[in-house]
Amino acid sequence: MKNSKASHLMTKYSIFFVLLFMIIISTVMNNNFLSSRNITNIAVQLSVSTILAYGEMVLIVSGLLDLSSGAVLALAGVLSVSLYKSTGSMAVAFAVAIGVAVIFNMINAFFVANCNMPAFIVTLATQMAARGLALLYTSGQNILQIGNYVKVGQGKIGPMPIPVIFMIVATIVIWYIMNHTKLGRSFYAIGGNEEASVASGINVVKSKYMAFLINGILVGIAGVLFMARVNAGLPNGAVGYEMEGLTAAIVGGTSFSGGVGTTSGTLVGSFIIGCLNNIMNLQGVDSYIQQVVKGIIIVVAVLYDIRFKNKKAPKVILKKEDEEEKKEEAPAAKA
Amino acid sequence: MKKYLAAFMALAMAATALTGCGGGETATEETSGDVYKVAYIARAQSDSFAAWLANEMKAAADQYPDIELTVFDGEADDAKENAAIENAIANGFDAVIVQPNNGEAQRPYVEEVVAAGLVAITTNSRISGIEGASSVDADPYKQAQVNAELALTQVPENAKVVVLKGPSGNFHADERLKAWKAEFFDKRPDVTIVGEDFANWNKDEAMALMEDWTIAHGDIDAVISMNDNMAAGALEVVKGNDMYDDMLVYGVDGTAEACLLIEEGRMTATCLQSAIDLAALNMETVHKLLTGEETQIDTDIAEVLITKDNATEYVEMYRERGQITD
Repeated sequence: MKNSKASHLMTKYSIFFVLLFMIIISTVMNNNFLSSRNITNIAVQLSVSTILAYGEMVLIVSGLLDLSSGAVLALAGVLSVSLYKSTGSMAVAFAVAIGVAVIFNMINAFFVANCNMPAFIVTLATQMAARGLALLYTSGQNILQIGNYVKVGQGKIGPMPIPVIFMIVATIVIWYIMNHTKLGRSFYAIGGNEEASVASGINVVKSKYMAFLINGILVGIAGVLFMARVNAGLPNGAVGYEMEGLTAAIVGGTSFSGGVGTTSGTLVGSFIIGCLNNIMNLQGVDSYIQQVVKGIIIVVAVLYDIRFKNKKAPKVILKKEDEEEKKEEAPAAKA
Repeated sequence: MKKYLAAFMALAMAATALTGCGGGETATEETSGDVYKVAYIARAQSDSFAAWLANEMKAAADQYPDIELTVFDGEADDAKENAAIENAIANGFDAVIVQPNNGEAQRPYVEEVVAAGLVAITTNSRISGIEGASSVDADPYKQAQVNAELALTQVPENAKVVVLKGPSGNFHADERLKAWKAEFFDKRPDVTIVGEDFANWNKDEAMALMEDWTIAHGDIDAVISMNDNMAAGALEVVKGNDMYDDMLVYGVDGTAEACLLIEEGRMTATCLQSAIDLAALNMETVHKLLTGEETQIDTDIAEVLITKDNATEYVEMYRERGQITD
């Protein structure tokens, strides 16, 4: 009994052990690693990509994905910076960024949910369109002198940098939605088995819209944080950030086949990549080698996670899935 | 699932290829018998300097009533850029100005332009040694050299410096770095490079590197950056930190942001790569070649070193262009 409990823990938290292992190794390698300044530094550097990763996690769990988040972030960000410069209102800045990102995600949702187009194609198309619009709007030039906008990205409340506060709030909200709401369960259901979800009365179209809506809000917030952190409106900024978000979600145990993924796993996935980048920079590792090492470690981490879950405790997994199925059935029956 | 993913990938690639064939924008619409049709193939409209240069090319072309300029976007992709050059040859342009994405990849296509009997110019950066082709450029080696020569006298003895590099394999990035190595690091063996990495011209990537370096190495005496965006990123990190008040920061490009930072005394120097001058010289050159005034021209714009002494002048220039407001 005791044994199975321990192995259950190991299984459930295997990716956490990967992070823990990395932190221990990094601390031994460089005594600056665990300093509060460096931990804050890592957290700030990861805020934007972690928030994007939550959006990707929600979408992947629902059987979708978003390749446009980096480009939409840039468009939302430059429009937000520009409107802030003319109005001086941070509320307007956030409203514009979130509004723009939500509009793009509603377009994604329309084509995916109503027209049955693959999310891969639709979001690839919106990626191009959004980046093009960002460049068109700014004529390809950076927007400078953004004034107090910068405080959202570089300021602190007490000892806590503001972007990190946004990341923590996003973590709590997404965790709550995914674990304690009917909406969250509908995401797992439609990603796990869309036909069964339809049969059990879940409004699949609505759930897909909701998944993109959540992603849009997160991308909009990330847009403000990104531009504020770099103290400029960069139409070329955040290129490839969708991949960072996707990678964090996948390393954190989100399954590309849908229906599987957690908020805590995504957070850990993001920190695994962030810590890896950080320790290699602290150690002065050559950047070509950095890319190779990153590739290898990501594969090893995910391989370890998958093998641990599949081999060491198959029974427990089965039990856990049974429980989850029961959980999913309950709200479905109510609906 | 795998099968679907593969299908999506194929579709995605087809979609990307299709969008790559798009046409350009025309600066002047009407065509008459005496008007020369000039195609400008920009490296990428998404790169802020290339975008600025494309805009200035249009403005400069407007000064010549007998030139009609059409701008095409190479989208930072050799295949697309080469296709755009071939299209320009096929579509009856009189002159083709190419801003290469990668000089060697575009070389045979520029040779095709020459072979077709059209005026060929390579610019920013030039592809040298093509017989019959002309070139207009700013010399990236010299741009870094003027900074490096200043740094020789400014950087303190036994200084700890960090180096922010542009994209690997980019001609301007490589030449600027080569100049720093030859004109500064080789002459100052006392200086230690404590951090050196690619930030790919990007401010956000430079910020992340600088954050990690300040933690790993504490005091840093100088930042040697291959462009101004990355230099500004490094400065963003140490903003308001007294420890870095004396830190020297060198860039290249002379962007609006760098001019402001130099005026404020936070950045040390940059070298202006003026898209205005480059565009004007391109139009002057293409006009001379088209009218037969000359048959072959290789020319460079001057390098202008911007320091605290003359920064205000360039801040004014950007203010007039609306890139800096009060």
